[in-house]
Amino acid sequence: MQTSPATPDTQADDLRRAAIDKSVKGPVLFLFLNGAFWLMASTILGVLAAVKQFAPDFLGPCSVLQYGRLQPTHVNALVYGWGVQAGLGAMLWIMARRTGQELKSGKSVLMVAAVFWNIALTLGLLGILGGRSTSMEWLEMPTFVWPVMLASFLAFAWPMASMFGRAFRPEGFMVSTWYVLGACFWFPWVFLSANVALHCLPGLGALGAGINAWYVHALILLFFAPVALGASYYFIPKVTGQPIASAQLAKLGFWMLAFLGGWTGMQHYMGGPLPAWMPAVGAASAVLLLIPVGVVGLNHHLTTLGKHSLVATSPTLRFVFFGSLFYPVSGALLALISNFSTGANLQFTQAWYGFQIVAVYGFFSMTLFGAIYYIVPRLSGCEWLSVRLIRNHFWFSVYGIAAIVVTSLVAGVQQGADLNHPEMWDQNFSQLALNLRPYLIARAIAWTLITWSNFWFLVHLMLMVAGLGRRSSAPTLLAHDHEDEALPNAAHA
Amino acid sequence: MTQFRTFILALIASFGLPWLCLVVVPAVKYQALSPLPYDKEADGMDGYYPPVPINRQGQLVYAREGCVQCHTQMIRPTQLALDGWRKGWGQDQEARPAAPVRSNELRDYLGEPYAFLGVQRSGPDLANYGWRAPERAVVHQMLYAPKSQHDWSNMPAFQHLYVERLAQGPVSSKALKLTGKFAPKAGYEVVPTAEAEALVDYLLSLKKDYPVPAKAAVAATPAP
Repeated sequence: MQTSPATPDTQADDLRRAAIDKSVKGPVLFLFLNGAFWLMASTILGVLAAVKQFAPDFLGPCSVLQYGRLQPTHVNALVYGWGVQAGLGAMLWIMARRTGQELKSGKSVLMVAAVFWNIALTLGLLGILGGRSTSMEWLEMPTFVWPVMLASFLAFAWPMASMFGRAFRPEGFMVSTWYVLGACFWFPWVFLSANVALHCLPGLGALGAGINAWYVHALILLFFAPVALGASYYFIPKVTGQPIASAQLAKLGFWMLAFLGGWTGMQHYMGGPLPAWMPAVGAASAVLLLIPVGVVGLNHHLTTLGKHSLVATSPTLRFVFFGSLFYPVSGALLALISNFSTGANLQFTQAWYGFQIVAVYGFFSMTLFGAIYYIVPRLSGCEWLSVRLIRNHFWFSVYGIAAIVVTSLVAGVQQGADLNHPEMWDQNFSQLALNLRPYLIARAIAWTLITWSNFWFLVHLMLMVAGLGRRSSAPTLLAHDHEDEALPNAAHA
Repeated sequence: MTQFRTFILALIASFGLPWLCLVVVPAVKYQALSPLPYDKEADGMDGYYPPVPINRQGQLVYAREGCVQCHTQMIRPTQLALDGWRKGWGQDQEARPAAPVRSNELRDYLGEPYAFLGVQRSGPDLANYGWRAPERAVVHQMLYAPKSQHDWSNMPAFQHLYVERLAQGPVSSKALKLTGKFAPKAGYEVVPTAEAEALVDYLLSLKKDYPVPAKAAVAATPAP
């Protein structure tokens, strides 16, 4: 903006953007900051859980710190503490900016909802550690938590839906708002039906386990994926200054995800007690999901074509680009664990954890970090302090997450081979425990790297929210070290 | 505005169909599922399949300690995995049983509010643990100090389910027989709490490979 002469038009645009940013500032920064705190907690718990898995006596026989309680706490903190909160923050900002609507009223309602989300989550996680875990995956928190969380989520979803409704113009195709609105719509539906089925109905036995697996897949595919895709469809064109390559591909990617996402999940219990068609349908749609995943990947690739050098300078693009790269990777991993030939071998192994982490961390979180690097300076009125901290955050996260994905997958192959090897038929699990050990040690190291990166991210974000960032009109870019020179790219407004 | 409505309707339709097919209809139909009587002539036995409800108190302890993170309760069919041929994973404890253990089906978990099929298999499957379980005291010892039985074990020690107390009078008949570094201080004994007893009751009751009544089995297995 600094390079172009300030015509009345662009000035009016700037003012309008500033007004929109100001209207959502409080809730968005609150969500980001709390999310970052939970992310910190989750990664520390991730290190502990990995260590406890190969050294169960580490830190003594304390009941609170046993693997069976630590692991669900780690995953729940990641999913609901960081994932959903950071997601809601980015969704609200993107929706307001993209539809050009200010958050008119009810800002205090949003703050209250966010506070209640965090209170419920804290009680829920303490409940798991204190011995009230339900042992349903991703729903381990005690029963009283979910209605509060659902109400809090709806308090955020409603203003976003009304912004979308007010701004809708028939001629404008807005793929990022589609994804964001989809996430607003799918999360409550999935969350409500899973919780009602598992906590309120008189007991569904093995079908309950199937619905649980469906819930985890639906949350990944119909909440985390749409939020991250909405963000990448918003930020990649914004930073590169190029329009989305193909509206057709974008539409195809969206609708195929919408149609297939709800069918997957039950293949998690392939060969189990569920009626055989349920896992079969799940496996088929998980493999078919490779199409929308590939289509979106292609579209992103075509949009960035020729602008790849910007990855070196823009922190936002670097994180978003890396996160988008992990969308196809998660899709491939899902297909691997879901089809009946490789999936039978990878069933009940580390590969499942690997998929959860690559989807929620590698794909979703990395994209969201990019979004946060873009959004926060516009809300707090100051620029990121240090290029080194951003670089540090990026590289330690990349190495950590790549290590977790690779080791989990290889560990899964090893574990599956150990479980299904004909010569193991009368052996105990000593060989399996021994073979798994190096992978678990690698996982602990990988989480340590990520903890290190997140510690500095949290410190950096806290300084920004406190308004202690750089006072400058130029964004912090990775190529120039703290030079206050204007970026010759109008897209960075 | 009509496009907005079309968009919302398309979202509802695209997600509503799998939601109905995978969650709502099966959940409603599941409510009608009931135990099947055995036929004296065809099955050679009386009673119902599945015979007894599980021990819910023990299952709650199983859930809250997160046993599912490492133990499954699901035998897969032989075309998918070797679970059925594993030694001792079914009723037949012989070294090489004549037939594989049957894979589990929906009715095996009837009466359980939620079936803990499991997340990972870092430890052995427990679907039919009741058949191969050693005597009660040994199961308690495994829970209290897994490494006293296998030095390679990576199972957590659930010492908080047990009480170490001053032995007064003769040693309790329930006290664990621990030796070496796992033994309590002299004059002390380790006894299970009610929760540990419930958990062991539950584990010993895990026998999910009852014979399936001939009627249901014909319907379930495809023609050869």
